[in-house]
Amino acid sequence: MKIRRRHLEAGVPAVAMADIAFNLVLFFIILARTQDDSNLRWKPAGAPKVEAIEQSRIVVTVDEDSKVYLNGVPKGIGELTGNIEKLLKEEPTGKKIVLLKIHKDTLAATFEPIIEAVSQAGGDLVHVLTEERE
Amino acid sequence: MRIARRGNKMLRESPAILLTDLAFNLLIFFVVCASTEPETGRKQKVPSSSKEQAEKPQGEQNLEVSLTRTGAAINGENVALADFTPKMRQLLAGKTKPEQRMVVVKTTKDTPYHHWIRVTGMVEQAGGVIAVLVEESKTVVTP
Repeated sequence: MKIRRRHLEAGVPAVAMADIAFNLVLFFIILARTQDDSNLRWKPAGAPKVEAIEQSRIVVTVDEDSKVYLNGVPKGIGELTGNIEKLLKEEPTGKKIVLLKIHKDTLAATFEPIIEAVSQAGGDLVHVLTEERE
Repeated sequence: MRIARRGNKMLRESPAILLTDLAFNLLIFFVVCASTEPETGRKQKVPSSSKEQAEKPQGEQNLEVSLTRTGAAINGENVALADFTPKMRQLLAGKTKPEQRMVVVKTTKDTPYHHWIRVTGMVEQAGGVIAVLVEESKTVVTP
């Protein structure tokens, strides 16, 4: 009498594929940035008392060459008020925060008009600083 | 000959292969949550200089801080940075209304940002409200 051997099928466990796909999606979400300002070179000014600040979608950066950027895009100072106003319209009342990332050696001729532009646009100023330990 | 049926005794156990993915996901979540460092800074409420002028009651004279590249003066009088906060507190003493505590900050064009931050921080620490004075430039065409 012939005893037939069981023919075992070796298959790839497809159940794990969902997790692999999920991992890949997670990696790309983390790596993809909508506002990539990592190429901008600036050093924050120091202050003795700083606090944790909320993130904001509106960021004005002044780099070490005194170039002004709004959300990573170079802008002239004259264009700032109008552009910030447009962006602030999309923010809810009470959360109209504008982050200022100004290089510590920037001169008043550059940063003062920026502060005035943000103030005129109706934004709440938040200076991004590091803690200065004496 | 009787052949005992082995029967369909499938070993039922949860697919252990999925546990590695689950552990990996949890690790990723914790790494991502731990790595985002919140930024630090300081909020500053700066009233627009034009609005401030309109609201200022007649006869009130606000304190004026003039900043140069390295120094600071209060109402024209040079003050050492170490004495700045006590001097400011002294001048703001007794002023309870926000419009009375307004401090107009004037800077020269070459004042660096870190110096501005330091002095305005001291003004706020003393209880003052910063108002930035920005010079406006106008082009006038003469006939």
